Parts: sequence; C-alpha cells; structure tokens
Amino acid sequence: MSEFLQHAPSHRAVRVWIRHLVMYRTWFLAEWAGTLTEHALYLLAFGYGLGRFVPDMGGMPYAQFIGPGLVVSIAMWASSYEATYGAYSRMRIQHTYEGMLSAPLTVGDVVVGDLLWCASRSLIGAVLMLIVLAAFGLVGSFWAVAVLPVVFIEGFMFAGLGLIATAVAPSYAFFNFHYSLVVMPMFFFAGTFFPLEGLPDWMQTVSQAMPLTHAVVLSRGLIVHGHAPDAAWHFFMLSAFTLAFLAVACGLVGRRMLD
Amino acid sequence: MSELEFEVDGRGLAKSFGALKAVDGVDLRIRRGECYGILGPNGAGKTTTIKMLCGAAVPDAGTLRVIGIDAVAEGRRAREQMGIVPQESTLDSELTVYENLWVYAGYFGFSRRESRPRIEELLQFFQLREKWDSQIKTLSGGMKRRLLIARALIHRPRLLILDEPTTGLDPQARHLVWNRLRELRRQGLSILLTTHYMEEAAQLCDRIGVMDGGKFLVEGPPLALVRERVGEEVFEFRGVEAEPVLRVLDGLPFEPERMGDTLYLYCKSGAAVMDRLLDSGRRNFLRRPATLEDLFLRLTGRELRE
Ligand SMILES: Nc1ncnc2c1ncn2[C@@H]1O[C@H](COP(=O)(O)OP(=O)(O)O)[C@@H](O)[C@H]1O
Ligand SMILES: [Mg+2]
Repeated sequence: MSEFLQHAPSHRAVRVWIRHLVMYRTWFLAEWAGTLTEHALYLLAFGYGLGRFVPDMGGMPYAQFIGPGLVVSIAMWASSYEATYGAYSRMRIQHTYEGMLSAPLTVGDVVVGDLLWCASRSLIGAVLMLIVLAAFGLVGSFWAVAVLPVVFIEGFMFAGLGLIATAVAPSYAFFNFHYSLVVMPMFFFAGTFFPLEGLPDWMQTVSQAMPLTHAVVLSRGLIVHGHAPDAAWHFFMLSAFTLAFLAVACGLVGRRMLD
Repeated sequence: MSELEFEVDGRGLAKSFGALKAVDGVDLRIRRGECYGILGPNGAGKTTTIKMLCGAAVPDAGTLRVIGIDAVAEGRRAREQMGIVPQESTLDSELTVYENLWVYAGYFGFSRRESRPRIEELLQFFQLREKWDSQIKTLSGGMKRRLLIARALIHRPRLLILDEPTTGLDPQARHLVWNRLRELRRQGLSILLTTHYMEEAAQLCDRIGVMDGGKFLVEGPPLALVRERVGEEVFEFRGVEAEPVLRVLDGLPFEPERMGDTLYLYCKSGAAVMDRLLDSGRRNFLRRPATLEDLFLRLTGRELRE
C-alpha cells in the first residue's frame, strides 16, 4: 500500500506528456505518412479489392464494415509501438525516466504521462483515418466523432499493456512476443475483418476476452450508425482493462526503475 | 544538535542486492552550507548511497531525513529541495539546451515563461549561453556535464547532490566544473558529491568520508585526516631492499609500508629521516608531502579494483 502511494500519479503527469510532445515534433510527418499509408492500403486492398468478391457483411458493404475497425486498430498499433519500442528507449537507453524521477515526479506521474502520450498518438492516427473514411463516404453519422474519446481510452489501455511488456523486456527482441501473441491476434480476431457471430464458441469466448473487440463494436456502431449496441457494457470493459493494465504497469515500472 | 541543523541526516542506512551488502550501516550527516565528499573505489557503495537520498533506491534499514523531510516516505517532497546530478547523462539528446531546461523546470511546476529568467542566469553562470539552441548531441562532454548541473539547479535547491561530477572530463573541463562548484558553495549551497579523484575531494570538500565495502572507514576534514592517519611527509623508495633502509632508520618515528616494488615511509616530520638517509649516502628516494591519495590507498589498499 505504501508502495502504491509512493507511486501515485498527480497532475504533474501532464508535464511528462508535454516533454513527449516537444520531442515528437521532430519526426511527426515521416512517421504518420507511413502508418496512415499502411492502413489506407488495408482499406483499399481488403475493402475494395477483396470487397468486390465479398457479399455485404453485417448488413453493409465490406469497406464500410472494416473501416471503423481499422480506426481502432490504427489506434492500437500506434499506442503499442509508442509504449514498447518508444518507452523501452526512454526507460532503458536514453535514461529519460531516470531523469524525470530525479525531479519531484513519481513513477505514477511518469507512467501516466507516458500512457497519455501514447493515447494522444492513437488519437492522431484515428482522426487521420476517420478523415480517410469520410473521404470515401464511409462515415454514416455526425456522431462518428464520439469514437474519439473511445479511441483515447483504448490507446491508453493498449499503452498500459505495452508498457507492461516493456517493463519486463530484457531487450527489444522480446517485443516480437508482444506483437505476435497479443497485438496480431487482436488485429485479426477482434471483429475488424469479419463478424464474430457464427464463429465456434471457443473462438467467440476468446474474442470477447480481447480488449480490442469492445473498441471495434463501439467504433463500428458510432461511425456507421451514430450509436452502438450495449455501449455501456463495452465502455465498462474498456475502462476495467485500462485500470488493470495501469495498476500493473505502475507496479512493474516501479520495480524496474527503483532499487 | 537538533535534527534541522543537518541538511542530510542518515542513520544506519543499509541496502543489499541479494547477498551483496552494497551499503552496510552508514551514518551520513551534512551540515548547512557544507561541501561533503564521499570518496571510495569502484563498487564502494557511493552511488547506492546517493540513490537512497534521491528516492531511486529504498533502504533496507535506517532512517533518512533531507532538510527535515523523511526522504524515504516523502520522496517527492524531499526532491523539491534537492538538485540531483546523476553519474550518467539523463539529458534529452534530441532536444536543444533551452528545451531540456524548460521541460525539466516543468517537472517542478514552473511554466516555460516563469523558468526563462532562471535559465538565462544558469546558462550564463555555466558559460553555455551561446549554446541556447544547440542540440545536446552536439555538445562536448564538459558542456553536457555543466548543463546537467545547471538543470539540477533550475528550482534553486538548498542541497546539490552530484555523483562523480567530473569523471571522464578532460583537465580543463574538470577545473571549470570545480570552479563553478566552489562558487556555488560560496553562495551558501550545501553540496554532497562522490568522487574517486583525490584532488577533487581536496579542492572542494570541507569534509570527506572514505567509503569501502559499503562502510565509512574514516570521516573528517581532508587535511586533518591526512595528518592524523598518514602523517606530514612520505618517503618513496622504488626497487630497493626494505631491510637495509629500515636498519639505517632504526629508532626514528615512521611507519613503513611495502607495495609491489615500492617502499613507503610515512612520518610526522621528515627532517630526522632525511638527515639519517643522507648520512648513509642514499639519494635514490623521493620526499614529498602526504596527500589524500596516501590516505585513500592506505585505507582501501593498493590492489587493483575494477
Ligand atoms: N541494481 C543493482 N543490482 C545488483 N547489484 C548492484 C546494483 N547496484 C549496485 N550494485 C552493486 O553494489 C555495489 C556498490 O555499487 P555502487 O553503489 O554503484 O558503487 P560505487 O558507486 O561506489 O562505484 C557494487 O558491487 C555493485 O555491483
Ligand atoms: Mg558510482
């Protein structure tokens, strides 16, 4: 308990976020050009290429079906990268965390500031992707903007998960596990590319346990129809995962940073 | 003395890593305005001691107050009062000098505008004013170290803590750092530093503690310690038999020590020894004042540490 209080975050976490923002402007453009192109390609290749051979899915054209899923998966990738490769460099290579902890910041400030930053990057990605969807006429309601707070929480959540991996990673190579065992399965099986209904029971169970699934349902509902089914439940699940990952990440980063 | 008369008041501090006792029951008291040096070979436990003060390591035992604040339970509040200069640079290498400083000032709650005059002042003081817009990776080692010290002073702390502030610097850069630290001490800042450079300790410190194996071996003002533990003068003989030399000096007050091919004689006053040696026709020796290095090597042994 006293350890938890020692790590407790405060408003100073915002200062950590500011530091990451100042750092970011140096490589903003090059990076987003890459990620966005990649996801626009998914939309073109699957939505329109494959979509020509796929009947309507979930009651809508295939491109419209996968578009909202791509919004939340771009968010997942963006914050995961930042919380793994980015945070590893800050934690282990550049001694950034160490510098912050020599000021009156706690482990909680450093972690929350980092996760806020990862979530911000999710948000930037999602906004760009939403613009792409709108350009293709795939946004059905003004209430699509309500997906942005969902994306922010989702980004914060995946950043927490990524930071857990970072805190236990002995080297960059460890992240191969994180991506092939955690991120990729969610990318494919959280309902972005095909409906989960009708899958074998065990696969449905696994899918429901995946955090991304809840973000996909909310995103598709909001972007296509302006409202989502069982929104409160999915929102609750996202929040629960978020708090759990945050608590574990704080504990593990604390153990890593403090002797 | 009351507790508050000590800027740092650590008692019975201990920290183990597995079976290794890195710090093994250390008392550390630093008075206001004092410059205190922890002197010790590699692995002595200096950095671990510093880390406990900074909240980066949790002591296994002991109590630790910094400016009257319990530094273990209230690390954040204690760090508001301390400036911390780590052994390795923690500057943001992609950012400029100015960005590094205002971002760090933000960690103390200062806005960019509030911190600007202080940044001007500090960069002037550390002769870095013209590096305002330079990226960190373009700075020399000496400039980075000065910037690291400047950054630690951004919030006008009462206590400055430096872990090996000049390790790896060339002599010019080192003297500049010493010069600035002396000026800071003159302005009333309390300073705690660790070093394994004897000259650094002798030049800067009012008091030193010699640490080895996680314990303080002796503590006191550097010159007084040397006088008391080593003597005033040292005679060095290289590549000679010890026996004949000692026989010539029989009855005089000195302490001999043999290390490798060298014989050292430590004594309070060298005059009598000198006369006796010259009388016996010996010329191949060196007579010099005792230094902190002699004290250090006598206490920690002359074998190699890595
Ligand atoms: N995090 C750690 N884990 C294990 N051993 C450590 C750790 N930090 C320091 N040590 C060990 O503790 C001893 C003291 O280290 P340190 O305080 O860094 O010494 P110094 O700064 O005097 O060179 C050394 O033997 C070092 O290897
Ligand atoms: Mg050290």
